[in-house]
Amino acid sequence: MNKNIKKYWKSEIELTNSSKVESLRNNEFVEKLPVDDVLSDKKSLENSNTNRRDFLKYLGFSTSAAVLASCEGPVHKSVPYVIQPERIRPGISSYYATSMYDGYDCANILVKTREGRPIKIENNKLAKFHGSANARVHASILSMYDSARIQGPIHLGKDISWNDFDAKIIEKLDSLRFSNKPVVLLTNTIVSPTTSKIISSFKEKYPNVTHIQYDSVSESSVLDAHEMMYGVRAIPYYEFDKAKYILSIGADFLGDWLGSNYDGDYAKGRIPIKINGKASMSKHVQIESNLSVTGANADIRIPISSSSQKLFLAHLYKRISSTNIQLPDLDDKLSLKLNQIYNDLISNGNSSLVVCGIDDVHAQILTNSINDLINSKCKSSSRVSLVRQGSNKKVEDLLNKIYNQEISGLIMSGVNPVYTLPNSKLFSDSLQKLDFTVNVSMKMDETTSKCEFIAASSHYLESWADFEFINGEYSICQPTIKTLFDTRQFEECLLKWSGSSESIYNRLKENWTSNILQSNYSWNKALHDGVYSISLNTIGFSNKSININGSLDTLIQDRNEIFELLLYSKIGMGDGQQANNPWLQEFPDPISRVSWDNYLTVSKKDAESLGLKNYNESNGALNSNYAKVILDNLEIKLPVIIQPGQAKGTVGISFGYGRSLGVKSEMKTGSNAFALYRNFSRLQHIKIKPIHEIHEFACVQLHNTLMGRGDIIRETTLEVFNTKNKNFWNPIPVVSKNHIETAVNKKEVNIWEEFDRSIGHHFNLSIDLNACTGCGACVIACHAENNVPVVGKSEIRKSRDMHWLRIDRYYSSDTSFLNDTKNKEDISGLSDSLTVFGEMEDPNENPQVVFQPVMCQHCNQAPCETVCPVAASSHGRQGQNHMAYNRCVGTRYCANNCPYKVRRFNWFLYNNNDEFDFNMNDDLGKMVLNPDVVVRSRGVMEKCSFCIQSTQAVILKAKNQGREVDKNEFNDACACSAACSTGAMSFGDINNEKSEVYKRKKDDRVYHLLEYVGTKPNVFYHTKVRNNDNIKSI
Amino acid sequence: MGSHYEAPIREPLVTGNKTYHQISVDVARPIEGAANKQWWIVFGIALILFLWGIVCIIYTISTGIGTWGLNKTVGWAWDITNFVWWVGIGHAGTLISAVLLLFRQKWRMGINRSAEAMTIFSVIQAGLFPIIHMGRPWLAYWIVPIPNTFGSLWVNFNSPLLWDVFAISTYLTVSLVFWWTGLLPDFAMIRDRAVKPFQKKIYSLVSFGWSGRAKDWQRFEEVSLVLAGLATPLVLSVHTIVSFDFATSVIPGWHTTIFPPYFVAGAIFSGFAMVQTLLIVMRKVCNLEDYITVQHIELMNIVIMITGSIVGCAYITELFIAWYSGVEYEQYAFLNRATGPYWWAYWAMMTCNVFSPQFMWVKKLRTSIVFSFVISIVVNIGMWFERFVIIVTSLHRDYLPSSWTMFSPSFVDIGIFLGTIGFFFVLFLLYARTFPVIAQAEVKTILKSSGDNYKKLRDKK
Repeated sequence: MNKNIKKYWKSEIELTNSSKVESLRNNEFVEKLPVDDVLSDKKSLENSNTNRRDFLKYLGFSTSAAVLASCEGPVHKSVPYVIQPERIRPGISSYYATSMYDGYDCANILVKTREGRPIKIENNKLAKFHGSANARVHASILSMYDSARIQGPIHLGKDISWNDFDAKIIEKLDSLRFSNKPVVLLTNTIVSPTTSKIISSFKEKYPNVTHIQYDSVSESSVLDAHEMMYGVRAIPYYEFDKAKYILSIGADFLGDWLGSNYDGDYAKGRIPIKINGKASMSKHVQIESNLSVTGANADIRIPISSSSQKLFLAHLYKRISSTNIQLPDLDDKLSLKLNQIYNDLISNGNSSLVVCGIDDVHAQILTNSINDLINSKCKSSSRVSLVRQGSNKKVEDLLNKIYNQEISGLIMSGVNPVYTLPNSKLFSDSLQKLDFTVNVSMKMDETTSKCEFIAASSHYLESWADFEFINGEYSICQPTIKTLFDTRQFEECLLKWSGSSESIYNRLKENWTSNILQSNYSWNKALHDGVYSISLNTIGFSNKSININGSLDTLIQDRNEIFELLLYSKIGMGDGQQANNPWLQEFPDPISRVSWDNYLTVSKKDAESLGLKNYNESNGALNSNYAKVILDNLEIKLPVIIQPGQAKGTVGISFGYGRSLGVKSEMKTGSNAFALYRNFSRLQHIKIKPIHEIHEFACVQLHNTLMGRGDIIRETTLEVFNTKNKNFWNPIPVVSKNHIETAVNKKEVNIWEEFDRSIGHHFNLSIDLNACTGCGACVIACHAENNVPVVGKSEIRKSRDMHWLRIDRYYSSDTSFLNDTKNKEDISGLSDSLTVFGEMEDPNENPQVVFQPVMCQHCNQAPCETVCPVAASSHGRQGQNHMAYNRCVGTRYCANNCPYKVRRFNWFLYNNNDEFDFNMNDDLGKMVLNPDVVVRSRGVMEKCSFCIQSTQAVILKAKNQGREVDKNEFNDACACSAACSTGAMSFGDINNEKSEVYKRKKDDRVYHLLEYVGTKPNVFYHTKVRNNDNIKSI
Repeated sequence: MGSHYEAPIREPLVTGNKTYHQISVDVARPIEGAANKQWWIVFGIALILFLWGIVCIIYTISTGIGTWGLNKTVGWAWDITNFVWWVGIGHAGTLISAVLLLFRQKWRMGINRSAEAMTIFSVIQAGLFPIIHMGRPWLAYWIVPIPNTFGSLWVNFNSPLLWDVFAISTYLTVSLVFWWTGLLPDFAMIRDRAVKPFQKKIYSLVSFGWSGRAKDWQRFEEVSLVLAGLATPLVLSVHTIVSFDFATSVIPGWHTTIFPPYFVAGAIFSGFAMVQTLLIVMRKVCNLEDYITVQHIELMNIVIMITGSIVGCAYITELFIAWYSGVEYEQYAFLNRATGPYWWAYWAMMTCNVFSPQFMWVKKLRTSIVFSFVISIVVNIGMWFERFVIIVTSLHRDYLPSSWTMFSPSFVDIGIFLGTIGFFFVLFLLYARTFPVIAQAEVKTILKSSGDNYKKLRDKK
């Protein structure tokens, strides 16, 4: 082999007589240096003297040498590529399709990587079902760069090598196998076909192992009902886009219900598009106790307690099935509503859909039966969702075994039972008594810290996996970076412990090529796409006959406790796995707009009778007193939010907070609601006592109502939309021009000279208020893309949130926003205005809710641009309102003069500052920063830039390729519009007639925010149309 | 300004049996004598406040504007309130020295020196705020149009903040020159009286070699007139431009065309109140009752009453126009001012600025020194609230209710404000000990026409 290598030589001698050269090379100094002679000759040494001049020379040399040595710059241990990989080009992002599943969230995503470093999550448009990431999935990238992660395997609290770790585990497993002592493998739901196989082979090797799946927030009732009725343990899959009439009883399907994302499909049916002059949209009725995001989007929302919901469901079933059974009566109001709902449900035929979130197997059976009876086409007959598998019964059995020490070993992965179990003390005590405990975990969390063996797990962005979220819909998870630490994914651990030397990659590929992919389908293509689907006909549903009357009887047993507590999960925190993620902690809840906390939501009436208060401090910050939640002998202290729309007699608490281990002290927020999650039932009956202590909230929106300002949120009803002229429901504001009312968008009203904007790109962002569900994915996507700093709870409390994009949430003061506007217009006289505006400060008990994403409106005539003394704020040729951070001196005049209040000031230095110990003060956390966006310094203003770094990249790319920019390329470049799963946001070039945003701009529903001010924004909104014309009858 | 005949019914402007020499002695007394205990106490307090203010400013600049109570909605609060307040206070000095000079109001001579000193010292305080309120004050020079190598960067001449820079710096320069010009003969008088060589040296330096020749006096009078002519429009322009910071914006409650005259009236109002506060104390401490007489106080009270009423008129006009405009945001902004969460600030302003000066219709009250002093303090509090009301209550609830919030000052906000008060008094107290606080050369010109003893002498004839 050596012969083939070219040999280079420096001289002829080297070529011909290499031995001489070799000997010379070994001897650095050809001539002997007389060092020893000089030093050994004492006499001459003593004779030689150093005169003053020499001394000064030496002194000078050594001083300057020492000084120079200390001037050496810091040593950076980054090593440049010796050979540049072909695909990694500095400054150019690469995208990889992958998927995430953590037992709670699931999504098919694209990961944007820069210089080999994943920096952002984007939606995978090739995926049909889970192709959009929610806020938590968007934020999950930061959870990888979490310095609190376990960085290598640990045995009994000591770091250990994987080899020793494996040897010890195998030894232990073998000994347990020989003595046939039971070992349990406790994991979250396994939706991965390959992992299932690996687990099977693990169980083959160790027959004493049983596998139990455990969901932190159980959906067992839905699964059990489905299994009982159809023989398949799965979650029914609903197709909301086909629904014309949606009745949701307690199902927060736009939130976290059943771990599916329905919002895209739902939104499709919610946009009224006129065909032959008449538009139609689905009608959504929500019956619930807590105000959920779904309830906030409903056309009609009926707040009643869970027990009333059950009775309502039973009555509805009775009407639909025409059975003759005895039920307690509904109250008059509710039975009127039932009539209406029944009629609507029947008249919409098989386009109606009933979904139910009541955590009760009987309620689920009734719901399934109703959908079957009305023959709903919206409940898929071919697809089911597999993202939850846990069975309450199996988990309870296991827990009993653990408590009774009937098992010897427990191997866990993806679960944190010490945190998520109500009786965590008992569990952790029993856990420590077990002979053998292993946790494959990323964090030193509540459970991990109690285990003997801790296998440091990899993040999903460092792992290989596959998933089948929906039957027949496969997806692949591929690593986007080498493991940051000495970690190993769960599957690899199992493979190792089964004695297999195979890598997970090979196992996965083999399983896919032999079992999943069709014979001619390329693995590389599947890997590239991230998703692969096989066509299905109908799933093998076997309709089993079950005693529905029995269900009815159990359902309507009423309990007379003081308060019904419904546990829910917040969009920001989910089940609490990512509690150490500052983006999510700072994410304001879409409904309450509170960040960094969970709380007890109480209705206004109950709060008054209990003496619970919310009030604002002198700087506006929200305070509350605490309430003691009492469940038998358990007492939990929680702050209170008086929640409009909360059904009387009910309260809500969200999961996910109150983490105590594995999170930074700043992130130890709220209280753990899992302590109340007894018998895996989200519905609990509790007592409440007020505590006269003050809690300080960090709430980003301190005024909740719209004050009758109907032109901020334009609204109308479907009937008016269909029958009246645009000028009636969406008029352009007028101003007086020479005493003639003139529309503000007329040229003669304009006092400024305008540029010709018909040439080149001109960016506009369209936001459809009908499609926006308020989910907040855009908020986190913007956070990730634009290096928005996290400022922490105390700063948020001072109204100094830094979010470039916020989603305003308003409650109506009257029963509807239209009434609010009318009330305001009907004001006559000063005292009346005082009364009416006074009343408008408070939201209605069951308000209408509206979400409005607000970011910089990029006004063509921007008030911020004229006032900046140093011209740091100036206008771009493509319509953007630019912000030159380097030029900004920080007078804040622009922010004051911004009618939309979207400008954010860097009050402090938010990076490399121990006072703000979040990801930007952490070498690892900083790796998530987008290198295309500057990290702002203290004292400058910042705001939305329309993601100029991305739009410019798109333009350059098209230019390089010598083509025009594609119609939707800009939409995918802007972080918020790219993240929007409902299509509420559309970004693009209005000079391109093919673009979506151009079409949208022509729509009748278009209006600009505060158009009368004359700012001429480049963001426009679409009037919200509510399908609630018969609201009075209901 | 010769010794014209003055009607007997006019009150004498110099009381006591004064001679020219005595005026010199009276004016030179605080400079030549040693400071008393009260002076040291007051100076000590002012110095402590000033140093505390410096600590707060250093803390702000080293840590960030976040040390203040501001937030995303209320981007200005005490900083710009203080700025406008101090600029406003400055106006009385210029009005007294320039406008009253042109109108030949002789009563100005007793008070113009101190009023002008107050102008300069308060403009210095005012000038601090635009700099320290910046997020990056070390780049403050970027708002000056200096040719630079930063690229094609240039200031934005559309921005009222830039106009402010020109307005305030012009104002400070003209006021300073005007003040110093007037000081020349007086410094020369001190120089001529000085016995200590060091003192003599200093005063001969600052008096620019004043010789007292007729040519000097002629030039002096000409320059005074020219400078008065230059300074008069400044009285109107400076606060007009300051008001443009608000008037040219789009925020309801700020976007108001009435602001320029309203601000100018308010500035004169608050300035006279501050002159009143200072001189009532000074005439007592420095035994200058003969030069700053009750009549002076009464005349200033009348100015306060008139300008206070103009300001009150402006407040009511604002309310009327808001209602008349039919713009819901305007209407709500003013409704919120009077009845919203900051109603107390609005009514404090109304009480102090509109109601309290009305007492001055009563002769007995406007000639009462104690009452005048109390009202002058009340007016200054009221005028501070006026700026607070305009800035904070307009911002805290503007267009989108989702952004509505409140403002509460931090200890740094308060510390910096107190610091400027301390700084102001440090300067003023030093001035009172080293400068001739009465324009003695000018007062001497009216001694024979308006001096008490001379008038009596003449009337006896």
